[in-house]
Amino acid sequence: MPTTLPSGAPAKPTEADAGLLAFAQSAELAVHDLYSTAVDVTGFSDEQRALLRFFGANHLAYAQAIGGAIGKAATNRRDEGIYSAYRADMFTPVRAMVVLQDLENTLARTHTDLVGRLEAVAGAELAASIAMVEARHAATLALLRGDGGVDGALANPAASLAPGGAPSPEADTTETTVAP
Amino acid sequence: MNRRDLIRLGSVTLTSAVVASACGAQANVESSSNIAAAGTVVPNDKVADLPVDDVVLLRTAASLEASVAALYNAILGTDGLLSGDYAPAAALLRRFRDDHLEHADAVNGLVRAGGGKPWTKPNPRIDDRYFVPALAAVTADGNPDAALDAVTLALAAETLAGQTYQGVIGSLKAASLRAAAIGVGQDEARHAVVLTQLLNPGYAGVAPSTDESGRPTVASVPSTFGALSSVQVRLGDPGDAGAKQAFIFETPSLNALIYTSMT
Repeated sequence: MPTTLPSGAPAKPTEADAGLLAFAQSAELAVHDLYSTAVDVTGFSDEQRALLRFFGANHLAYAQAIGGAIGKAATNRRDEGIYSAYRADMFTPVRAMVVLQDLENTLARTHTDLVGRLEAVAGAELAASIAMVEARHAATLALLRGDGGVDGALANPAASLAPGGAPSPEADTTETTVAP
Repeated sequence: MNRRDLIRLGSVTLTSAVVASACGAQANVESSSNIAAAGTVVPNDKVADLPVDDVVLLRTAASLEASVAALYNAILGTDGLLSGDYAPAAALLRRFRDDHLEHADAVNGLVRAGGGKPWTKPNPRIDDRYFVPALAAVTADGNPDAALDAVTLALAAETLAGQTYQGVIGSLKAASLRAAAIGVGQDEARHAVVLTQLLNPGYAGVAPSTDESGRPTVASVPSTFGALSSVQVRLGDPGDAGAKQAFIFETPSLNALIYTSMT
């Protein structure tokens, strides 16, 4: 596809963009830390721990990329609301995998929301590239959990976490979502 | 500069002037923008300056959805193609085909909202260049891996579709369309994960790796960030040389867009 910038769109994140991306960075760091906590849970196999490290490292990379995009506006700190809300769920492998899948769906939805709200193209492209892989994380966890089958892998009932974010497109479901 | 150098320089200058005058316009010779050539030269027509706007990008996305759906119909319509270990792929491809048709309807809804005319046919260039020859390789007589190749081709199609939506984020002018596009793109990414897990199941199929012979395996999460590179796939009868035919799929570019003038 052509890669010309839409006319009038700023190339670098605006002040409003920086606020949204700073939140996204803090959410990524919180989920990274939750993966790090999950790795130490008793009962995971070696290959499961490898997956947790892999996905956790991806979230750290997202936080770093966002930090690079917004510079001094980055807090470089995790969102304590997200971390503390789900820290206690990282106590058994089964529960941890369920919650991490929900968190992946939530982050994918959050970045999708940001893609539609960020003014600068560079920020939107970054959020888009993150959302695509977080959707893969969620689908992978759903299939490996073996609970929900293909339906669970394809659906994303979560809502955006971003301030003023869009509601879930499937609001009639009872899927757990993350509160900031 | 001595006298000898001056004489040499003078002769060079004179020679240049003679050559230049020989190359200039001549009497009784029709002028032409073409360089000198024997025979008749076809005029160099300027390519039409076709605008690439949001409607064109969305029509192209709808065409790709229709192409993928048509590809799956062709796979499903080939008797005995999805068999053995890959028989479960039939149900998946039926479902994904319906998803792609729904995506096409949704994207065409955006086309309509943008004042454009919906495009409901497959993308002719994607079909001609990629999907038709790739499927021909898969279904060719003697291909011992036809079922595996069919699923591999479907995975490539899903990857291409996902990358197409991600790739237009920087080109779409309306921010709301960007969100809609990446939302559909994630559906394609999830399709790709399901097919990857069929080809390379379990935890071993999550991260990029290699098989016993050192060849890269398909991965549910092939990269940290969503990639926009070409999609490479090897399909068909490996023959005596043991090498399958390589196909490289690129997201639709200027020669594959569905311009508003196309009907």
